[in-house]
Parts: sequence; structure tokens; C-alpha cells
Amino acid sequence: MRTTHKWTMILALAATAVTGCKKDFSNPNDATLDQTLGSPVGLTGVAVGIQKLYANGRAGSIYNLVCANGFSTYELSNRNTGNVDETNLFNGGQFVDGNNAVLANLWANNMKVIFDANNVINNAEKLGDKGYASGLIGYASIFKALAMGSLAEFWEQVPDTVGIGLQPKFVARSEGYARAIAALNKAQAAIAANPISADFLSRIPGGIDIPNSIQALRARYNGFAGNHAAALAAAGAVNLAVRSEMRFDAITPNPIFNVSTATNNVFQVRDSTMGLPVGLQPSAADRRVPFYMSINTAAAPRWRINGFGAALTSVWPVYLPSEMTLIRAEAFARANDLTNAVTELNRVLTKRASQDPFGIGAELPAYAGPTTQADILTEIYRNRCIELYMQGWKMEDLRRFGRSNAPNVEKNRNFYPYPFRERDNNPNTPADPAF
Amino acid sequence: MRTNLKRPKLVHVLLLTVVSGLLSFTLQAQVSISGKVTGKNGEALPGISVVVRNQGVGTTTDGSGNYALTADLPAGSYVIDFTGSGYKGSQATVNVAAGVAAYKADARLETDALGLEEVVVTGTSLGTTKRQLGNYVATVKGDLISKSGSPNVLAALQGKTPGAQIIQNTGDPGGSMSVRLRGVSTISSSSEPLYIIDGTIVSNSARRVTNTQSDYGGFISPAPNRLVDINPADIERIEVLNGAAAAAIYGSRANSGVVQIFTKRGSSGAPVVSLSTNVMVSQLRKGVGYNTAPTKFGGPTDGPTAQTQDILTPALTNTTPVTRYDYWDYIFQQGIGTDNNVSIRGGKDKTKYFASASYLYNQGIIKNTDFKRFSFRVNLDQELAKWASLNVGLNYINSRANEKPDGNSFYSPINSVTIIGNFHDIWKRDGNGNLLAVGERGRVNPVSVIEDIKQAQETNRIITSFGLKLKPFKDFTVDYTMGIDNLAQNGQTYIPPYAYNASPGFWGGGLTLDPTLNGYASTGNNQQFLINHEINGTLNKRITDKIVSTTQVGYSLQYERGLYSMLQGRGMAPLVQTVQGASTVLPGSDDRSEISISGAYLQQNFKINNRLFITGAVRFDGSSVFGAEQRNQTYFKLSGSYVLSDEGFWKNSVGSWWDYLKLRAAYGESGNLTGIGAYSRFNIYQASPMVGRTALISPGQLANENVKPETQKELEIGADMSFVGGRVNLTVNWYDKKVEDLLISRFINPTQGYTSLLGNVGSLSNKGFEIALGLVPVQTKDFSWNVDVIYNRNRNRVVNTPQGLIQYNLPAGAVSLLPGYGVGVFYGFFFARDANGNEIKNASGIPLQERGTQNSPATFTPARDGNGLPTGTPLRRVIGDPNPDWTGTLTNTLNYKRLQFRMQLDAVQGNEVFNADFRTRQGVGNGVEFAEKEHRGEIPRGYISTIYAIEEWRIDDGSFVKLRELSLGYSFGRVNRFISDMTLTASGRNLISWDSYRGFDPETNAGGGSTIARGIDFGNVPIPRTFALTLNAKF
Repeated sequence: MRTTHKWTMILALAATAVTGCKKDFSNPNDATLDQTLGSPVGLTGVAVGIQKLYANGRAGSIYNLVCANGFSTYELSNRNTGNVDETNLFNGGQFVDGNNAVLANLWANNMKVIFDANNVINNAEKLGDKGYASGLIGYASIFKALAMGSLAEFWEQVPDTVGIGLQPKFVARSEGYARAIAALNKAQAAIAANPISADFLSRIPGGIDIPNSIQALRARYNGFAGNHAAALAAAGAVNLAVRSEMRFDAITPNPIFNVSTATNNVFQVRDSTMGLPVGLQPSAADRRVPFYMSINTAAAPRWRINGFGAALTSVWPVYLPSEMTLIRAEAFARANDLTNAVTELNRVLTKRASQDPFGIGAELPAYAGPTTQADILTEIYRNRCIELYMQGWKMEDLRRFGRSNAPNVEKNRNFYPYPFRERDNNPNTPADPAF
Repeated sequence: MRTNLKRPKLVHVLLLTVVSGLLSFTLQAQVSISGKVTGKNGEALPGISVVVRNQGVGTTTDGSGNYALTADLPAGSYVIDFTGSGYKGSQATVNVAAGVAAYKADARLETDALGLEEVVVTGTSLGTTKRQLGNYVATVKGDLISKSGSPNVLAALQGKTPGAQIIQNTGDPGGSMSVRLRGVSTISSSSEPLYIIDGTIVSNSARRVTNTQSDYGGFISPAPNRLVDINPADIERIEVLNGAAAAAIYGSRANSGVVQIFTKRGSSGAPVVSLSTNVMVSQLRKGVGYNTAPTKFGGPTDGPTAQTQDILTPALTNTTPVTRYDYWDYIFQQGIGTDNNVSIRGGKDKTKYFASASYLYNQGIIKNTDFKRFSFRVNLDQELAKWASLNVGLNYINSRANEKPDGNSFYSPINSVTIIGNFHDIWKRDGNGNLLAVGERGRVNPVSVIEDIKQAQETNRIITSFGLKLKPFKDFTVDYTMGIDNLAQNGQTYIPPYAYNASPGFWGGGLTLDPTLNGYASTGNNQQFLINHEINGTLNKRITDKIVSTTQVGYSLQYERGLYSMLQGRGMAPLVQTVQGASTVLPGSDDRSEISISGAYLQQNFKINNRLFITGAVRFDGSSVFGAEQRNQTYFKLSGSYVLSDEGFWKNSVGSWWDYLKLRAAYGESGNLTGIGAYSRFNIYQASPMVGRTALISPGQLANENVKPETQKELEIGADMSFVGGRVNLTVNWYDKKVEDLLISRFINPTQGYTSLLGNVGSLSNKGFEIALGLVPVQTKDFSWNVDVIYNRNRNRVVNTPQGLIQYNLPAGAVSLLPGYGVGVFYGFFFARDANGNEIKNASGIPLQERGTQNSPATFTPARDGNGLPTGTPLRRVIGDPNPDWTGTLTNTLNYKRLQFRMQLDAVQGNEVFNADFRTRQGVGNGVEFAEKEHRGEIPRGYISTIYAIEEWRIDDGSFVKLRELSLGYSFGRVNRFISDMTLTASGRNLISWDSYRGFDPETNAGGGSTIARGIDFGNVPIPRTFALTLNAKF
């Protein structure tokens, strides 16, 4: 080869070396944070995402709410001691520690719901289409309130705020309920000012009635917070003929069915006593027992999950219409208006399944017990335990109705320890409760 | 008829032409040179390259050490070079005179036990001899790889290179391997070394294309890693660079070390055809047994209502007679395999070539699993001019595997057996021929797994290399390498609808056989394109008569493009095996990525008196995966070595018995510029379906635009020694490897809206030493005995994390990071013990969990109640460590005349295994160790359920000593005119394991190549015992 060839080759190699190298590639796979939160379409996706976070899977809020509350209050039986976290909750007491994955999920997932709900609510306020914005605010506030309510039910103190880079201070759990109520009141005002547009409703999964849900949750958390007059008013504003529910399909299946019912390997209903002490247990004629549990005579265990965890696409109620009736009964009873209290109580006791939007009906005779305030409140408590079985509110009811606070009588835990992930990274985390 | 008459004529003419041509050729061939090459004691040396210098003529010696070549040489003086790996080169001179046709030239070669004359290639540039290196580079020769009896390159490398812990993660025939060089050097990304074949950076991806749903948060993937595509018979040698001290020149990607594979190239001389064929038999080495108790607790004994977990329901105390079965015998088989290779190497004048074809077929020890591999390779070297040469390599591979789901799902062969009591007649069918449910919990019948679930994958891959080497002027060389690795991998999974109650989690339809859920199909595609360009310039200058300077500059450009797509659905229509048969289409995957890295380096080396060597280097690198502020990094290297034994005083004092001593020290830095995903630094929302609408959800991990690559700083000090004429050789390395700015997905308080944050927030260290000792106790003409010992001791420690304890909640094990402990230690509940270390038991004699006060993750105060039993909070501590204290290998090689015997023992000591399967077997009642005893009443009822939650119960000593390789070969030498060499070898692999493990094999990793999840036994297929009979022949 000639010398010219030599230099040609060397130059060609040198040219390769100086060829630039692109280093800024854009991500085609996902939407960025800024893009998402800056558009109505993005915000709607995030809002739907909040419902999915709340409802879906073993890490979701529904599963962990039902599981933790159910094990701690004796609603559930444990099917496999190999599931360490569920077993520790089932054993209760000191077996429940900050390492528990069910509690960690309940805590973290609800924080995520609050975080993204805040993103939706804050950014929706900037939108020009106020009917669309009120839909976003109303829809996201439902889950924000549910998440805040769950935290306040299970932990003595709740974080003051949620946000990137923060180590929030903690406030009393009563303040947690107050904030849930405040968020609902704000959503209520937004909807009242600008009715939700049909356009918005077509973009979210069917099933959730936003205005009725907001009133119902106002009723629930005012009741939990002891504001019985406000609870009475809000419960009265709920249309009891309407269902508001989270729906599922084969891709996003009902979490209780998917994790427990279908596998028969995590938890099952305890039995027909619903874990209640003698005297409060459902009577043999109570038709709510077969609603919530089926009987398998062939294979163990005999009592199986039914009701809202019966099937792949079983809906999960945001609230039950009869919960509103029981809230009203309780509010009347606490105000010593025992006549109205018994009237509302009897609506639940004598309700036929066909009269209830979700098909729950005790179909029992009217209340015939002693008409003292204490007895009526106990009967209301008993009916809440049966009517709202496995809904996740029994921990709060046990306290509010003054049931025994002693370990291992009606519950094996009163408040939960704070998850290690919070304690290890936030010096403001309060001390753990003894029980 | 006429045409028939004509044809023979034509053939005759052609034959005549050929014969006369040959005749004239032979007439022109003027000289033949022959001879014999022997070792120090006169033993014949086969495979030695014999080349007539500057004439492009050469050959190699046969099995008897003889060679013969013919060449067209005019009268004159010629130098003949004899070279062979493991020997110091030698020369002979032949004076060709007119009229003399035959010449003889013999050679006697000295062994080069420490490989001082071996050329090692670092920085994909020109090589340097090992003598000059300031850092340790291990070299493993190809014949050791091909004789190992394993068709997998990495398995074959086990026990052959100091500083490496090479683990066969699973016994699947195309299974996963993991390589850890001097411990794990990262937490969040892969700990696998960078693999380079002939200068081409190749993918060792373990991307799942089958059973894709069982990926637990990215931590666990025992999918085959793609180095399985490489044919071991093509390999000339492998160089292993253990850490930054050696690998700094690779800069950005060398954090876990570098493994360079060099394939065989052509050689001058007549073409040599090599043929090898073998037959392999694989079988289960050791079983785990099964429960033979005649009863179970509680009710129905079989069918859809039988209680599978009777043991864990202590309330059941009545017993029912049952028939117990051995399901293991059903799922395992004896696997047959064959590995066939044919290669041809040769060359003439300025062209040399090597070409090979191979076919491997190997059955697994699980029924209906196998692995097939076709490989074709051509390597070509062409001299273009005196100053320019070109080399080209092309390798096409087609790999196929018939698989079964891996252990991390309960519909895998091993786990489907592990998770059920062994009292079901799993083979029983109903009137329609349908299998029946195994108990009431929706578990999968092992017969469905073996017979019905189909899973297969195929890879088509081309690896090419192109190299150009120019010497444009004196003392200056420029070389350019371009490598491309292009792979397309497709996998299919098909689970037909179950005829019985199988849990929706196992893709069943539940009790109602819900047709929208029952059955599953998926197809996954993984495409990768990797290209790298390396250009290097080397200037050699003699500065004074004692000092030589070598200056190298280089530039590297690397680009990778990936596409992963997956379609899946459930609720399968009958008979349709593809995704379009699914009634419920599940969210698929379409993931695309691009990565580019570019870098430049400058290296300066001084050689002083050919005994003192000093090298300094700096490398600059930039990567697209990190943000603009962080992507450019600089790495330094400095090394020196001193051959003390070359000094005059040495020769006059100890030189008579101490032949060689080299002291060396090296410091190097490296990074992991591919340590995070292509777009991991961005905060995103991920889309997924939600009841007919689209949900956008932010991930649990908060991304961080400001993360930077991890930095490794390694100091290595070592010595190479040789005594008594090369009979004793010793290499010692001590190293201290620190990784700073460790990328950890650190836990953050969930009140931030996220649960973790990716940050450079930790550090870890690996400290240790390696000893390689070679002994030749006996060496005579007919008999030699070589002993090779490798000892590696590594201490892996997490030095610092942003919080005390980081626990990874994996389905199979309690894996954690805790400062002061090794990466991936097991953390959890443990047994209460008294002052003497004996377990504290309750009144029934059942061991109890330790309780008391937990002071910190690592410290606690046990408490006792009035009866001396544990009381207080259940306590946790580190209960096991997957990192071994030491690993070692002892190899004995004996040669007697034509007989060769080799035995390799591998030891891994001082590590623990999280034996999840052991506990499950007891819990569901098929285990021999405890379940059978509880059924038989030999231990109290409730024993297993009481201790079930104590994680320490699952910790087993993972130490083992294995008879890794045993082989006996006989070389027939030249057989006849055609067969110049023939060898028959009988070998065995993984024949015996000495361990106290309560499972199949302590050498297992359900997490595959995972950095975090190591030493977990969860449904993994055990490594088989293999026997092989191999015939090698050369023509």
C-alpha cells in the first residue's frame, strides 16, 4: 500500500474519535411529573391513580385496612402462619411492631394517597374549567379523607402534613379527623359552587357518586370525632337509595377476593359470631350473617368470606347507606333522643335485603331491649359490628362505645406502633403506644 | 447414451488437471522441516506452535510432540519460533541449502509457571507481558475451560481464577450464573463484571422473557444470563481483572471487574481440523426425601377438600391414615446431552483463519426441560501491508431452551411439590381425564407443571468484532476496534386453563374456575444492540539505554439500545396457546432505552532496566444515564512493580533456589456509569389501566436528578514468586477496595409521599487476600504431578448507610443492609438461648422465640419471666450472612505417559443460606426433618407451628466442599495418516458435596445474579451431577 493509503486510514480513525456522542435521550416510556400535573388530562390520570392506589392489591389501603382492623378486633381467622406479618397481627400485643408490613403498607399507601390527592386538588384549583376542577377536587378529596381517616383510626398521632423533603411534626389523631372533615367541607363547597361537569365524570371509573360520598364521609368522620350533631346533619343529606362504590375487573380485581377469598390462604371470616363477645353475637336469624359469610361443608374452614369480598368483581362500597342510618341512631342516642335513636336502629334491624341498595338486610324484629341510653348505644354498637362487618371501622367503634380496653378481651391491640420507616427517618415520630 | 459416454471423459480430464496441478505443486515444494518438541524432562509437548519467522508458514505439534511442515524456501538461514501457552518461547535456526529437501529442528521448552511471558491485553489495546504488570491479572487457558465438562463458560471457570466467587444459581440446563470478583461492589445495580469478547463489549443480560410476572421488584431474576450463548470450545483464554487496580483503564464500567474472553485465531500452516464430541448424563445428586408417616392430622385425605396444611393447624389433633407419595421421583429425570464441535484453523501467507461450528443439546434434570445451542464462528486475520493488519470475527448463535417456571413462583416444578402435603394422588384423573385439585387452597398440581405448562425461549445473536492495527511509523501503533453485539430474545409462556381449583395468583380460575382468569399466556421480546468503538495510539520510545517509555492514548465510544416488549393475558380459550386466546388482556410492557458512554484515557509507562515498571493513567468518562452535572467523571490509576530477583545481589545469594520474586502495588479507580437505568433520574408517573380508564401513579421511589456514579478506589499489593526451578510458584494479593457514593434506594419517611429516595448515600468495602500456589511435586519424563491451590478470603462490609437498617421485604427471605455487616445479610427473629447457648424450651419441649428489649437493630437485651422463659418484645438480629468467609480450590493433575488425571475440589466456607423451602416442607407436611416426626408423634404436636415464624429456623450453614471436576483422559497420539491426535476423556462434574445442608444443594441463588438477594433457596432446581464421555480428534 502506498503512503497515501496510510494517511487515509489514520485520518479515518481520527475522524471516528472526534465523532460526537449524544448524551441527552428523552424517556419515551413514562410521563414526567411536571407534564402530568400541568394538564387536566394528567390530573385526571393521577386522580384515577389515587383510586387505584386505595383499592388495588395487597399493598392497597382497602386490603390493609380490612386485614389490620380485622385481626386486631377478632373479625378474622388466620389461614397460614407462614404469612408472618398477618400472623403477627393475628397474635397481637407485642407481636405487632414497627416492622409489620401490613402496617407499613397501611401507613405508606395512605401517605401516597394524601400526597397525590394534594397534587390533584392544588393543581385543579388553577384550572379554568371550574366544573372539571370541582370534579377533580371532589373525587380526590374522597380518597384523601379515607386515607386521613384510616391513619387517625389506628395511630394516636398523625403527621401534620405530607410532602417531599419534609419531616412532618405530629398532631393528635382528633386533629387528623378534623383535617379529613375540613378537606371534605372544602370539596363540598367546590361542588356547591360549580357542579361537576359531565365531561369529568366520563373520564373516571364508574360507580362513585361524588356528592353523596362527600356527605357520607363527613357524617362518618364527624361521628368518629364526636361531632354528633354535624354527623347527624351530614348523614341526613345522603340519598340512601344511591350506591357509591369502587368497582373492579379482571385486571384490577377485588383485593379481598384476590388475596384471601380465592386463595383460602391468608385470612377468612372468624365464624358466625363475627368475633363478638357473648351477648353481642348475631342471632341465628340475622340475615346479615349469610350476606357476609358463606358455609363450606366440604373443606375447612367452614366459614368463608362472602359479601364485599365474594368475587373477582365484587364492588367495595365507599360507605353503606345503612351506615348513615346507624350514624343517625348514634347521634340521637348520644343526644339522649332515645325515641328517634330506636326508630333509626329499627330501620336497620328490620330492613329486608331487597330494600337495601347493596342487598344487606338483617330481617329481624324491631328492638325490644331495655330503653336506657347505654343499652341502646350497645345495640347500635352491635349492629355496627354486624352491618359494617369487615369494613374496617371496628377499632374506632370499640373506643367510642367504651368497650373494654383491656388486652385480649375484645381486641388484641388498641393503637399501632409507628412503622420503622417513619421512625428511622423522622425524628418527630412519637413514642409507640404500649398496647 | 451419448451423454453417458461423454461424462467420464470430462471427469477424466478434470482429474488429470488436478493431479498434474498437485504434481507440479509437489515438485516445486523444496524443503520439509520436522522435529520434536519436548519439555524440560523430555516429555512430549503437544499443541506447540511452530512458525518459520517472516515466512507465514507454520504448524503445531501433535500429541507426541512431533511436527512436520513443508515450505517453499529459497536457500538461506531461517529462524523457527516455538511458542505455546505455559512455556517460555524458544528458537531454532535452519540453514536451507540448495538440493537438500529435509531438515530437522527439535526444541526443548522451559515452563513458564507464573505466566511471566504471557501477553495480557488490558484496555483493549496492545498487550503487555505479565512480568511488567503492577496489578494482578488472572489468565485461564481455553483447554481448562473446554475440559471442565460444562457447556457453560462461566460454570467452566469455577475454581480456576483467584478472587472470583462463581456460583451456578440454578441447575436448569440453560441456567443462571453469577460471578462476584472480590465481593459485591454495589447495592442498587448489577454486580456482574463487564464482559468483553475479542474487544467487543457483550451483553450478559438476564432479562426475563418467560414467566415475566414473577419478578419481585427487580431483585429476583434467576433467568439465564446471556453469556450462556458463548461456546466454550472457541475460547483461547480468559483474562480476569478483579478490581479497579487492574481495571481502571476501563473506567466507567469496571466497578465489578472485567472478564475478557479471547477466542481462538488462525495459525500458519496446513489446516488442522479438530473434532470433539461428547455424551453427557445429568442426574439429581442428592434428594431431600419425603414424609413417610402413615397418618395426617384432621380430615379428608385427598381431593379438593383435603386440608393441605394440617401441621400448621395445631387445633387438629385427630389423625387419619394416608398414603404418602414421592413426588420428587416424578418431577426429576436423568438428562441426556451431547456437545459437538468441529473447528478448522490454518493460514497461508498473510491470511490466517479459524472457523468453528458447534451444536449443544442438554436435557435438564426436571422433566421436559432442555437447552440447545448452535454456534458458528469465523475469525480472520489478514496482513494488509507490512504496517497494517486487519482482524475480523463473526459469531452467530442460536440458543433455545424449553423451560419450566422458575422457583420464585408456586407453579414451578420444585415449589409445586414443596408447597403441598405428599398425601395426594396427583396422577388421579376424573372421567374426562382431568387432573384433580391438590387440597383446598388452590395450589397447583405438580403434574400440571410438568405436563401442561409450556415455557420456551429462543435467542438469535450475532457478535462481531473488527480490528485494524497500523504501524504508520517506527515505534508508533494505532489500533481500532469496533464491536457489535446484537441479540433478539423471545420467550413464550403458556399455562392452559386448570381443570381444578387453582388460585388466581397461580393464573387459575379459583373455586369457580372463572373463565376470565383461568390460564395464562405471554410472549416477551428483548432486543439489544450494543456497539463499541475503541481507538488507541501507542508510542514506544527508548529514552536511554535503560529506560523505555510507552505512552498510550485512547478514545472509546459505547452505545446501547434496548427494547423490551411483552404481551400477556389470562382466561385462556381452550387449545389456543398464544395471547390472542386470552379473554382478559393484561397490561403489557413496551420499554425502550438508549444509553451512550464516551471516554478517553492517557497512560504512561516507564520500563527501567526491564525490572522496574511504573505506570500511571487517567481516564475521563461521560454517561447519558446521569444528569448533565454529574455525568462526567475522572478516574486515576498508578502502579509499580519491581522484579527483585533480577538484581545481581539476588542471584548471588538466594538465587540458587529462589528463582523469581516480583513485588507489585497498584491503585486504581473506577465507576459504574451504567449503575442506574437509562431514565432512572427522572420523576415520573406510570400509566396503567383502572377499570376501563387510565391511572397515573407515581412510583414509590423518589428520583434524584443529582445522583452520580459510584466510585471505587482499590489498593492492591502483591508478589509473584517462583522457587526451585519452577517447582513451587506462589502469587499473593492483598487488596482494599472501597466503594464510595454508593447508590442506595434509601428509605425515607413515607410522610414525604414516597418511601425511598435514590441517592449517593453509603459506602462499602471489600478487604481480603488471594493466594495462588502451584506445586510440581513430581516431574519426570513419563510422570508429572501438579498441585494447584487457590485461596480467597474476602470481608465484605457495609460501612455506612443513611439509616441503621435497611430491610428488603422479599417473598423468599429477610434480606438486609446493616452497617458493619456484609451486603445482603439475613435479619430476623431468632431462638432464645441460655447462657450455654442451648435453646430455651417451653414445658412441652418446644423451642421459643427470643424476647426482651430491642436497643438498636444489632443490639438487644433478652428478658426472662419468673419461669425463666423469654418475655417482652420479640427480638431481631442478624441471623445469617450469604458472604462466605473464604473460598478455595485444590486441583491435582497427574500425567503418566498418555494418561491424564485431573481432580478439582471447590470449597465455599462460612456462609449461610436462607432455606425457605426447608421450612415450607415442614409447614405443609412433606418434610422428613420435622413434619414426619410431628406426624409420628416423635416431637410435640404444635412444634412446627410454634417455631414457624422464627426466621432463624430457615438459616442453614451454606458451607460446602465439592468434588467439582474429576476427569481421566487417554491420548492415543497419532492414530493413522488422517488422525494426527485423538484423546478420550471420561469426566464428572459436581459429583460429591460435603455439607450439612438441609436441602438439595447449598450452592443456589433464587435471586439469580441479584446483588442483594443472595443465598436464598426458594424452589430452585438443584445443580445436577454430570458424567461425560468426550472424544477429541485432530485431522
